[in-house]
Amino acid sequence: MPTSALHVARTGLEAQDARMRVIANNLANIGTTGFKRDRVDFASLAYQEQRVAGQASTGQTAFAVGLNLGTGVQVQGTSRMSTQGTLNPTGNTFDLALDGDGFFQVELPPGGQIGFTRAGNFALANDGTLITAQGYALQPPLQVPAGAQSITIAPDGTVSALTPGNAEPTLLGQLTVASFVNPAGLRAIGDNFLVETAASGPAELGFAGENGRGQIRQGMLEASNVNVVEELVEMIEAQRAYEINSKMVSAVDEMLRNANQTL
Amino acid sequence: MDRLIYTAMTAMNAAMDRQRVVANNLANASTPGFRQEIFAVTPATLKDGSLEARALARGNVRGADMAPARVVPTGNPLDVALEGKALIAYQSPDRQGEIYSRRGDLRVAASGVIENGEGLAVLGEGGTPITVPPGFSISLAADGTVLASDPAAPNAAAEAIDRIRLVNPEGSPLAKGVDSFLKVPGGGVLPPDPTARLTSGALEMSNVETADTLVQMIEAQRAFEQRAKIIATAGTLDEAGSGLMALR
Repeated sequence: MPTSALHVARTGLEAQDARMRVIANNLANIGTTGFKRDRVDFASLAYQEQRVAGQASTGQTAFAVGLNLGTGVQVQGTSRMSTQGTLNPTGNTFDLALDGDGFFQVELPPGGQIGFTRAGNFALANDGTLITAQGYALQPPLQVPAGAQSITIAPDGTVSALTPGNAEPTLLGQLTVASFVNPAGLRAIGDNFLVETAASGPAELGFAGENGRGQIRQGMLEASNVNVVEELVEMIEAQRAYEINSKMVSAVDEMLRNANQTL
Repeated sequence: MDRLIYTAMTAMNAAMDRQRVVANNLANASTPGFRQEIFAVTPATLKDGSLEARALARGNVRGADMAPARVVPTGNPLDVALEGKALIAYQSPDRQGEIYSRRGDLRVAASGVIENGEGLAVLGEGGTPITVPPGFSISLAADGTVLASDPAAPNAAAEAIDRIRLVNPEGSPLAKGVDSFLKVPGGGVLPPDPTARLTSGALEMSNVETADTLVQMIEAQRAFEQRAKIIATAGTLDEAGSGLMALR
């Protein structure tokens, strides 16, 4: 039996349900530092050819048009929208925001896989290394000597500090920023981290402000780029689309019930 | 048994097929650039001399409705909405020829090829996929020109690397294939449209009108029910006929 309208409508329900889940995740992460909203990409499913245009209808004539019946819709994937989030000043020395493209690199335990993040809410560990809220070290590691005062991180990532007994600031290092050919291809693993995939291409490391990489803003955090109004409109749209597809299911159900009762 | 039931049955099948087309349109109400399908039923008449009887219903998908759909701003510079009737030429997934679509959610793949949300490579003016030099940032001009700028040289003017192949469907046959893509039946390509314009930062949605489609749905449902009734009536007629002829 060819796919009935019932199953076609089911694909619509499933796709809208998946879309709702993505919208819910976007809304849930509205306050997450550096979060980038996802958009659902839909694609129509394969068509079933019932009759080919040009096929003989009688000995002498041929069908002018074919009969191709679609089998519905699917969620092809989600794409991360990499638009810049708002930069909010926090005044905190180790809050870093990227103004432009790029990611901070963090060593994820175990195994030392590199995670990429735009959430720059760093802190100092008890040994003086710069770590994320989860305790993962920034790469390449930045060591702040004990007693260092007024640590300054320049837009290009240069870190300098005043150490006791020195009038001149000491250069502590320079932060590197990773960029990708296709940042939308990075895989999100949660905890604000993304990891490299074949689709994203390898990370290209460089200093902030170079080759299109964004500049580092000290004392600021990048808010999520989720726009509530946009998400709510999407939500209503998904809800209505879900409703009409469920209406379709009940309409076909009615048809079949009617056939069962009448015949 | 009366042949009426077969006539009604073909009509019932056509109503079910119509319902499937409607369901597919509704399911794709959120697919960007989707063009809804039009279903038409034609009678197939059986002729016997001067007598014309038994019009069997035969359903067809009369191709896609190319009416424009609403355009929503997305803010993503690689999302493009086409103005007028122009279509974007994409490389067919089997790499045999071109397919056409209004779907413009473009992105740069890791290989540097510009593709859409369905993973289809956008064709350039030369008919080959457009590849962006690694690391370059791209923007799209209103006429489809792909401008690439080298981030290492921020002061240099953006370089035009290619132009998206925008085509004019006017006056050419265009049909949806089994892979759901629009193409010229029997092969062939559409002529380029030098006047075609696109808007970046916006996306054209599906042109499925949900209210209209719901009406079509109810129509198909009721038509199905009417035909079921015809079959039931034919059964009653048959019984009456047998009753008359029964020997008491």
